[in-house]
Amino acid sequence: MKKLTGSQAVIESLLHEHVSVIFGYPGGAIMPIYDALYDYVKSKKIRHILVRHEQGAGHAAEGWGRVTGEPGVVFATSGPGATNLVTALADAMMDTVPIVCITGQVHSSVIGTDAFQEADVIGITAPVTKWSYQITQAQEIPFIFKKAFHIARTGRPGPVLIDITKDAQFAPFDFEYPSEIKLKSYNPTTQPHMKQIELAASLINNSKKPLILAGHGIHISHAHTELFDLASKADIPVALTLHGLSSFPNDHRLYAGFLGMHGNYAPNILSNEADVVIAVGMRFDDRVTGRVKDFLPNAKVIHIDIDPAELNKIIHAEVPIVADAKPALQALLQHVKKQTHNQWIEQFKAARDIEKTKIWDVECNPTKGPIKMAEAVSRISEAIKGKALVVADVGQHQMVAARYFKFKLPNSFHSSGGMGTMGYGLPTAMGVQVAKPDQTVISISGDGGFQMNIQELGTIAQEKMPIKIVILNNGFLGMVRQWQQLFFDKRYSMVHMESPDFVAVAKAYGINGMKVEVRKDLDLGIKNMLESKGPYILEISVEQEDNVFPMVASGASVSEIRLE
Amino acid sequence: MKNYYTITAFTENTPGVLYRIADLFLRRKINIESLTVSEVKNEDQSRFTIVVFAQADMVEKITKQLYRIIEVVKVIDSVDTDLVAREIALLKVSANKMEQRKEIEHLVSITPFTRIIEVKKNFLILEKTGTEKDINDFYDLMKPFGIKEFVQSGRIAVFR
Repeated sequence: MKKLTGSQAVIESLLHEHVSVIFGYPGGAIMPIYDALYDYVKSKKIRHILVRHEQGAGHAAEGWGRVTGEPGVVFATSGPGATNLVTALADAMMDTVPIVCITGQVHSSVIGTDAFQEADVIGITAPVTKWSYQITQAQEIPFIFKKAFHIARTGRPGPVLIDITKDAQFAPFDFEYPSEIKLKSYNPTTQPHMKQIELAASLINNSKKPLILAGHGIHISHAHTELFDLASKADIPVALTLHGLSSFPNDHRLYAGFLGMHGNYAPNILSNEADVVIAVGMRFDDRVTGRVKDFLPNAKVIHIDIDPAELNKIIHAEVPIVADAKPALQALLQHVKKQTHNQWIEQFKAARDIEKTKIWDVECNPTKGPIKMAEAVSRISEAIKGKALVVADVGQHQMVAARYFKFKLPNSFHSSGGMGTMGYGLPTAMGVQVAKPDQTVISISGDGGFQMNIQELGTIAQEKMPIKIVILNNGFLGMVRQWQQLFFDKRYSMVHMESPDFVAVAKAYGINGMKVEVRKDLDLGIKNMLESKGPYILEISVEQEDNVFPMVASGASVSEIRLE
Repeated sequence: MKNYYTITAFTENTPGVLYRIADLFLRRKINIESLTVSEVKNEDQSRFTIVVFAQADMVEKITKQLYRIIEVVKVIDSVDTDLVAREIALLKVSANKMEQRKEIEHLVSITPFTRIIEVKKNFLILEKTGTEKDINDFYDLMKPFGIKEFVQSGRIAVFR
């Protein structure tokens, strides 16, 4: 046992949780913690990355959490520091990302008096955190930190917030970190119920047109091999959600494609023919289901998720299985029979060929006119042979990145799915890059979203993070414009956006870059970007009124997917 | 079809749980008809008794979502036939004249689980325990005398 101040105890607790990097921004109510941090950073026990806005810290922590599976850690001060985290917390909550945010709070004696920089952070963040707690006494720190990290990383991962009053940061106490934790009220079920597994297996064994819908849970649970083995043994096509991308080899004959509103033609048009659907680690988001009452009309659904609240939430599950994806798939693998579904799989190939001719070839290989978004993304993908961690912002470019980048690394696509947070891409790429310094990290944004957190170029420059930043500039808020074109009689309401010279902005930060305006410069730009040692901005001017197809219109059935 | 459901949630007895539970009902736009929170003896737990008027499938969904709240230990949703439930009401009833007093006293004496708890010059304070319907019936019975004030508790319930 050693005597520590609350602030030192915070850092020591983080070290006990094997935290090596903090994304943060100091301020009045968290100054004692930053004072303690000074020594730990100096002795290189921990690294602190000073962001330019707390939202950036929140997303960077998400990037860290997504690629490591361990909570990304954020420091922010009280009041505005803490409220700036709300978007990132909501994003992490929706997309099941482990982060732990530590916010300073005013002195406990003035809480509730509208003190300077006081905000009811616990109240504001409750709906967007998996758990939160306000520490008012230093002695609470070890147990609460242990509990916070446990909750953030286990079960269905998510964001946790700890608010610490300034007096608790100053107070000395005898520090001892708990080695174990057992909570009475929180014991996620990870192992599947064998009766349910047998039921599921018998459905699969008697199925003619089985289909797997796999999501984020595959990455979180590291169930890539299990997914592959199950699909191979029972010969089942695998369709992936946005967050499930890169969990199954995209050149495999069983790869059915990307699900959802702007997903691939095959899984959308064919999912309604499936007689058995194995949904694993996914939650039937409305972007995946289209009109719910017409989704999977012929299928008996086996739904595997660690969060019981997801089962029967949107789609009735014939066989609900509460479990971690990995043990559930392992158990299923034991019980399914070896099968072949050649005819069914042929149907996917046929649908894929239609999409290839009608969309893929046209979008990726134009010979005249402006550069197309799909062309830019597929050229980048080819240049790096798909071996990069890709972080996309939100909008048309996001769907294009998801569609045309041929991911070759597991868990290599990161984007804001549930929340659709514009401005997510650049700061998340920071967390991904810091967590995976040996990988190439490519951030893909549009001109709109990029400017929502453009200030993080400062962080990237200061920390010399070699992020390859791609901006697909179409001069519009493209996704909104596309909807206005298709559903609002081309009334382009407030979607035209003029942007600064991004390369000049980058240069002002000391970041190299190049602007590509014509097709013949595209490959050179990509080459320069990938060969550069440090961070690099590649701004690509793309066709202004380019649209993303296929598309399942909002409220339509997935079988009404439009190719144009 | 909508029905009355009683959701009983056992939680850790810590601050903020009520806030998270209330938020869940707010998100689903389910009005809470009544809510009683009490301490579970010797367990360091709270017992929430929440009455809602909602669809069965919505109750099932919200029950599962309640489990997402870390502090929630157990949730049971029940229809009225699963429970023995009681509420308590206090009524301040005008009683200026002797014959009014006499009549109220008589009605109280023949209505089960009802008593006079305070007698004042111009009014009586009555206590009524029972189901929501019992209380409503008694309210109607007292209405002609003039009810100056009425307050009713939330429901408490045990399982059959």
